[in-house]
Amino acid sequence: MFDRLRAFHRPATVAAALRLATAERRAGGRGAFVAGGTDLVVQGDGSLRWVVDLSLLPLRYVRRRGAGGGWTIGSTTTMADLERSAALRRFADGVLCDAAATAGSPQIRNRGTIGGNLANASPACDLAPPLLALDASAVIAGGAAGARKAAGGRRTVALERFFRGPGRPALNGGLLVEIVIPAPPVPRGGRAAWAFQKLGRLQSDIAVVNAAAGVIVGSDCRCRWARIAIGAAGPTPLRARRAEALLVGRPFDRDAAQAAAARAAGETRPVSDVRATADYRREMSRVLVGRALDECLERMGRDPWASW
Amino acid sequence: MANDPIQFTLNGKSVTLQTDPARLLLWVLRTDLELTGTKYGCGMGECGACTVLVDGQATRSCLTDLAAVRGKRVTTIEGLAEDGRPHPLQEAFDEHGGYQCGYCTSGMIMNAAGLLHAHPHPSRREIVEGMEGNLCRCGAHQRIVAAIESAATGTGRQP
Ligand SMILES: Cc1cc2nc3c(=O)[nH]c(=O)nc-3n(C[C@H](O)[C@H](O)[C@H](O)COP(=O)(O)OP(=O)(O)OC[C@H]3O[C@@H](n4cnc5c(N)ncnc54)[C@H](O)[C@@H]3O)c2cc1C
Ligand code: FES
Ligand code: FES
Repeated sequence: MFDRLRAFHRPATVAAALRLATAERRAGGRGAFVAGGTDLVVQGDGSLRWVVDLSLLPLRYVRRRGAGGGWTIGSTTTMADLERSAALRRFADGVLCDAAATAGSPQIRNRGTIGGNLANASPACDLAPPLLALDASAVIAGGAAGARKAAGGRRTVALERFFRGPGRPALNGGLLVEIVIPAPPVPRGGRAAWAFQKLGRLQSDIAVVNAAAGVIVGSDCRCRWARIAIGAAGPTPLRARRAEALLVGRPFDRDAAQAAAARAAGETRPVSDVRATADYRREMSRVLVGRALDECLERMGRDPWASW
Repeated sequence: MANDPIQFTLNGKSVTLQTDPARLLLWVLRTDLELTGTKYGCGMGECGACTVLVDGQATRSCLTDLAAVRGKRVTTIEGLAEDGRPHPLQEAFDEHGGYQCGYCTSGMIMNAAGLLHAHPHPSRREIVEGMEGNLCRCGAHQRIVAAIESAATGTGRQP
């Protein structure tokens, strides 16, 4: 598998991991970080000369972020950790747990990490849509862009800008340290809901399309904030911003949800491949966004207008 | 490349190996340690034939480098029996004929052991979902699910 490997490092700190990667890059030859290895080993790139294993780094955590709400999730937290996190289950309708629970089989989830899922930058990765629907950002240490700043400096990149193309994360050789999720801006008397949807041959398959939605309504039942994110329907996981704009400021009801779903489908840029044709992906984007928004409506306690 | 010794607990006994830490656990088990009960199916994480327990969690040995099990407890199908008595899952697979050719069986049993470790009393649905990543090309799935159901409701001896 890694026939040409010259060095396999297992550092215990982020600083040591960056130092090792920098030294290896100077020495020449291709290399990679590895967390769970569920993408890297399968890709089987025989040209790798060095690997820096991240599994000893103290980055396996789900923490509350201060008093204001919000979360930080360490990059080596596994999908199984997310799926089982009782704290995250109570946050944002457990949308992140639901997405993690559909990623691969139990054996894959026991090894595969949130950092690997995002850094692999597959357009179909299951954690991207819920994290985009939560306005998450990636905290990155080191790498070409970081080196220009203070040594050991960290930069924060909005997840939307983190995905540059298939397999192209905005890491520049840096290390993804943690994911930050801000507290959702729910106004007093308002309500919020999130939902994740995935279409695959089996639930554990790589998604044909996946989608997440998040909606916040004020006490007047008008939508104040909306997030619609779709995966496997373009070169990167994407936000359907025009569909979001269609929801904001209007009463959030079934008609609004269906109109937004149709618009969201128009914002996708799918390709045809072994899993599905582009047309099917576009149509299923509409269906899944519609379902996710319907689920949000239901979670808010049926149609908010029902009491009128 | 210089290799530090790697120590871990294999089926209750400490082992120390001096080999390339980037090698995959599957091949170290099968080749160096001659434990061929762990099977090679796809080598890509898709089929589950290579499943072992690492600290009680079902893990695909075909995607796991040796360094990742340093200091951990690894259990293979060879280590599931206790005091010469087969594990309840092994008995149940035997009783229900939860196999045809048997190639997938050790992976099935190890994944089921991980499942019962996490949920001692799974529903049928939880069993089906929990076993979704293990393929049986002979198609013994119905009997595999029945075997796990009966092991789960049996004596409840835990792996
Ligand atoms: C059978 C099978 C089924 C799968 N099903 C799904 C599925 O349904 N949904 C899904 O989303 N994914 C699925 N995957 C893909 C994979 O399991 C996930 O993407 C997983 O989260 C990857 O995490 P990892 O820790 O194993 O990554 P690794 O393989 O260790 O790394 C992946 C990439 O990210 C880089 N990397 C890892 N961590 C960092 C870091 N902290 N900083 C910088 N770079 C880093 C590595 O260098 C590598 O390029 C599946 C994989 C398999 C084999
Ligand atoms: S051989 Fe490991 S999953 Fe198939
Ligand atoms: S019994 Fe033959 S593959 Fe399952």
